[in-house]
Amino acid sequence: MGGKPMIVRVSDNIISPLGMTTAENYVAVKAGRSELKRHDGLWQLPEPFTASLMNREAVNEKAAQLQIDDRYTFFEKMIILSAAKALEQTDIDPTSDSVLFILSTTKGNVFLLDKNETGFPRERVLLGYAAKQMTDYFHNPNTPIVVSNACISGVCAQIQAMRELESGRFDYVVTVGADVQSAFIVSGFQSFKALSVDCCKPFDANRTGLNLGDAAATLIYTRKDEVNENDWVACRGAIRNDANHISGPSRTGEGSYRALKVALGDTNPDKIAFINAHGTATLYNDEMESFAIERAGLSCVPVNGLKGYYGHTMGAAGILESILSMQAIDDHNILATRGYETIGVMHPLVLSNQNQPTEKRAFIKLLSGFGGCNAALLFAKGGEA
Amino acid sequence: MTKHEVYITPNEVSIDGKVLIHNKNGAAMLTELYRAYVGDYPKFFKMDTLSKLGFVASELLLHSEGAERFVPREDRAVVFFNRSASLQADTAYQATIQDPENFFPSPAAFVYTLPNIVTGEIAIRNKYFGETSFIVLPENNPQIMARELQNVFLDPMTTSVLGGWLDCTDENHFEANIFLILKS
Amino acid sequence: MDELIYTLKQQIIEALNLEDMTPEDIDENASLFGEGLGLDSIDALELIVLMEKNYGIKLKDPSQGKEIFKSVAVMADYIQKNRTK
Repeated sequence: MGGKPMIVRVSDNIISPLGMTTAENYVAVKAGRSELKRHDGLWQLPEPFTASLMNREAVNEKAAQLQIDDRYTFFEKMIILSAAKALEQTDIDPTSDSVLFILSTTKGNVFLLDKNETGFPRERVLLGYAAKQMTDYFHNPNTPIVVSNACISGVCAQIQAMRELESGRFDYVVTVGADVQSAFIVSGFQSFKALSVDCCKPFDANRTGLNLGDAAATLIYTRKDEVNENDWVACRGAIRNDANHISGPSRTGEGSYRALKVALGDTNPDKIAFINAHGTATLYNDEMESFAIERAGLSCVPVNGLKGYYGHTMGAAGILESILSMQAIDDHNILATRGYETIGVMHPLVLSNQNQPTEKRAFIKLLSGFGGCNAALLFAKGGEA
Repeated sequence: MTKHEVYITPNEVSIDGKVLIHNKNGAAMLTELYRAYVGDYPKFFKMDTLSKLGFVASELLLHSEGAERFVPREDRAVVFFNRSASLQADTAYQATIQDPENFFPSPAAFVYTLPNIVTGEIAIRNKYFGETSFIVLPENNPQIMARELQNVFLDPMTTSVLGGWLDCTDENHFEANIFLILKS
Repeated sequence: MDELIYTLKQQIIEALNLEDMTPEDIDENASLFGEGLGLDSIDALELIVLMEKNYGIKLKDPSQGKEIFKSVAVMADYIQKNRTK
């Protein structure tokens, strides 16, 4: 290959209500399973909501096996456990100063702001302090970087990881994304009238909003001069703003279109197996994405969305959905868009609620979020698509 | 290459090292600066303090740059760093849901519970379609910030970054130290 | 009714942080969105909270807001007919 070094996946992990490993999660998603359930009266919230929530006991048990005890909040247990499970598949020494940890999260330990929560020092609500719990656990000497860019954080964190490796300062970057649900987050999205009381239906004509979910996911990256055909390479990514509105997406998909264009570069769209979209199942997001994909000349590329399995996992989403997309291509599969039935966006997309075969080896992960931000990242197995 | 710099605390404002005279302190000072140097953007009053701080600081920085304003562009990134993320907005939103007897979650408060909203506010004001990002660190660390700001230029289109430290814990505790940096 | 309109204007100014505006500045028949007061989608959501908090009115479907929030006068009329507190 030669030329510029490539950014290659070393290992990964997903902890979600569907499993504690990447493999468990992929098998469950491929089989069409979901833990999205309706909750009435949970956290004393006056209105019901549908979410994919962790069994906290199961996480506590797994964490305890690794001495991740009750000094840590549930959020911290999730990030440490996910990072530990990704690291244990490698021979990386996390105590080395050539290893950097990047955390992707929107709300971290925000539940600690509730006056009834007294079990932890209040400073742990600071995202940098929560991240420090993780680096201290692994005795990592570097200051952790927290990317907090609303719903696109998980892709931003990977772009950040690529840059840290490209600039040569670090040899490994452990990219961990997570959020755990709470009254704070659910009530906020309810006040935005953004949640569906039923399971979400991405891109569907009858979609009524999103669901939320707990998850942590980790992707470890390194830099390589030569890659082999099974290496997953993070090729090109971009973050772009709509410059339109702080909560509503641009009607013309301005930021997503521009991010897609940079991520695609001069790659032939023919080489791309699918675009794994944000697909939140809100009216405006899905419409916007369809327009952005059309404007980027990618209407012929299949699109899927995974929120119907996990809900929106916020800081985890960009990492979790990237990992599952890699697994799918390893399995020559385009994952079904669970919850989708009839096309409900104005700009035609190739969508399916069934798994579809593919022999292609590249995909684009697309995300958008509050603050008008959008991110796209091209991945290719075995190097440049 | 750093071209311009703005520094703001609750009782101190300077542009490129020159002190700017003002009468008020804290959040009231931000409003005073808005009225004196901006004045035509009523959305300012809806912002949380972090966004007001970033908005005013960026306006002063761009006045100092003196280039033509509001021309759509994709080559300028907006990247801030802080320690407290959106803590002030988080606390304000929590207050709207703390009491079950008086439970009225506020969407206008909730939207600011993401630190990157301020980057969006600046992008909207200036028609910046480029990269916007928010990074949280355990403490202010100029070395890490310099490293990360240099990394922003690895985007193929980015030729300048409006960015730096932007922290706010409440109306009387905040610090902005932001720069306009050109690709070297 | 005039009293309700005046109170409502005060509540809107406070809830939406309409700095430098007084109730006298708001024409109760002018459009709240677009040309008139220039409110946006977050303001619309905040008006839904205002109606629930102050008048005990819960909008089942947020798209109802389009009709109800046409102007302060229309809003006051709706509140008069539907208020529970």
